[in-house]
Amino acid sequence: MSVRTIARKDLADASRSTTLWAVTAVVLLSTAGVTGLLAATSGMTAGEVFGLSFQLAGTMLPIVALILAKGAITAEREAGSLRVLLSLPPSRRDVLVGKLLGRTALMLVATLVGGLATGLVVLTMLGGSVASIVSFVGFLGLMSVAFVAIGVGISAGSASDSRATAVAVSAYMILVALWNLIQSAIRYGAVELGVMTAGNEPAWLRLVGLFPPNRAADAAYRAAVDGQLFGTDPFASVWLPVLVLMAWVFAPVTAGYLRFRDAQIG
Amino acid sequence: MTDPAIELDGVSKRFGDVTAVDSVDLTVESGEIFGFLGPNGAGKSTTINVLLDFVESTSGTASMLGLDVSDDRETLHDRIGVVPENYGLYDRLSGRRHVELAAELKGADDDPDELLDRVGLSREDAGRPAGEYSTGMGQRLALAMALVGAPDLLILDEPTSGLDPNGARELRNLIRAENERGVTVFFSSHILEQVEAVADRVGIMNEGELVAVDSIGRLRQQLDTGARVTLHVDREPDGDLGGLPNVRDIEVMDGTVRGTCLEPAAKLRFIDRVRERVTVTDLRIEESSLEDLFASYTDEDTTERRSDPVGPGGVA
Repeated sequence: MSVRTIARKDLADASRSTTLWAVTAVVLLSTAGVTGLLAATSGMTAGEVFGLSFQLAGTMLPIVALILAKGAITAEREAGSLRVLLSLPPSRRDVLVGKLLGRTALMLVATLVGGLATGLVVLTMLGGSVASIVSFVGFLGLMSVAFVAIGVGISAGSASDSRATAVAVSAYMILVALWNLIQSAIRYGAVELGVMTAGNEPAWLRLVGLFPPNRAADAAYRAAVDGQLFGTDPFASVWLPVLVLMAWVFAPVTAGYLRFRDAQIG
Repeated sequence: MTDPAIELDGVSKRFGDVTAVDSVDLTVESGEIFGFLGPNGAGKSTTINVLLDFVESTSGTASMLGLDVSDDRETLHDRIGVVPENYGLYDRLSGRRHVELAAELKGADDDPDELLDRVGLSREDAGRPAGEYSTGMGQRLALAMALVGAPDLLILDEPTSGLDPNGARELRNLIRAENERGVTVFFSSHILEQVEAVADRVGIMNEGELVAVDSIGRLRQQLDTGARVTLHVDREPDGDLGGLPNVRDIEVMDGTVRGTCLEPAAKLRFIDRVRERVTVTDLRIEESSLEDLFASYTDEDTTERRSDPVGPGGVA
């Protein structure tokens, strides 16, 4: 009851922020626009365009989701409205879950609109199946949810909004912008230490490659296009990346909750 | 027998090495208007934060309406109304939506318009986003949210900050009206006059300790603060102005005569005595401030100067 009320309140409040919508619109329209450009000029097939477009969205949507979510708790904490909410019956868990649901719903709407727009651009220009749009939008949605959960978890675990922003940007840098570099560093390090031989790709290293939510979502999308729900190779199947995504949905927000539960709201 | 509205038993709160609240014992009875006084940093806010379960006490137990502030938090928060210190509103939501939100979260079926009327927010203002509100309007809205669900206990943390004198008076009237409906009111302030006008009893916090709990009248009686009367005169009077009961610290300087009067009648006697000798062109009376009241509890020098006042209306 409380959770639903808080989620609805959050949705109503956040959705009235014009800045938020402006940023979202720019990002999503540019994704659809670039995709349209690709479709018109490159001579690629619908599947190839979808694949590139997914990777593009995989770098754009995470930052939108993190920025949208990182203030969920800290902004209310700094504005003092959290003190009002917590003076009322809802518990800190109710507030956190409500906020998570509200921001998730908002991000899902944005992702759905952007994903469908992109999908329709490809479909009308190059043809393709409705099923491809479904998995395209579906896994983009799951990825967005994971990044919203990371952002809300960061927000719950941070004492100030500026700190939450710094941690959210760091999370983006590590998980999205720099992950190729980090993966390479790990590979070289492992070879140097004699853990593995050069040119090999052991399972744990492949898991490192699958670790960020955007990578996991991309892998899940490609596996779904290939029809590999439970294939012989777990890394090329849908189930393993989805498991990784689910872990991202629950782990950071749980860690954030534990910090928020014991926080001094002074 | 009704449970006390608030009961603190040896409550302490330490932040690292700093002791913000030092083993405070306090009982506020049901039906009281209790003023919680103290300068900034005295530990008032931390005490209230413990009561609201915003911070966890280091030791001691705290309960309200017979319910533990932490273990029975949800049941308890259904029955209290709070205007927290430094509260914030949702800038993009209307005033009415705020009250509706509080009602939904409390499972109460209050009429938002009735509550908004009671705190003096017009229908038109209630429809506007709270981001456009002045401090005073925001304060009224916060109060309307606190009144949702007919609470048994109102906790108001510095409710007069940001209110003009008119708004502060309306707030006092509202506090009295709610109290007549049987609501216990606990409110904190650093302004003595705000508390004095409505509180049955007051508690004074200083440096984390509760240094006094009594009615304002009795506190004043125990103190030698009194009112400082300053008279502007056409020339400085010669001779001794002393010897009046309950008037002390008389000074003559720079065309003024000053004296501290310990009770009302002493002020008039003091003024009469000066007017017998010279012409008074202007006068100013400063009632003892919280700082004076405080000084008597905290400052050793002041305590040493304490002299026993004669009861009000003592013979000249």
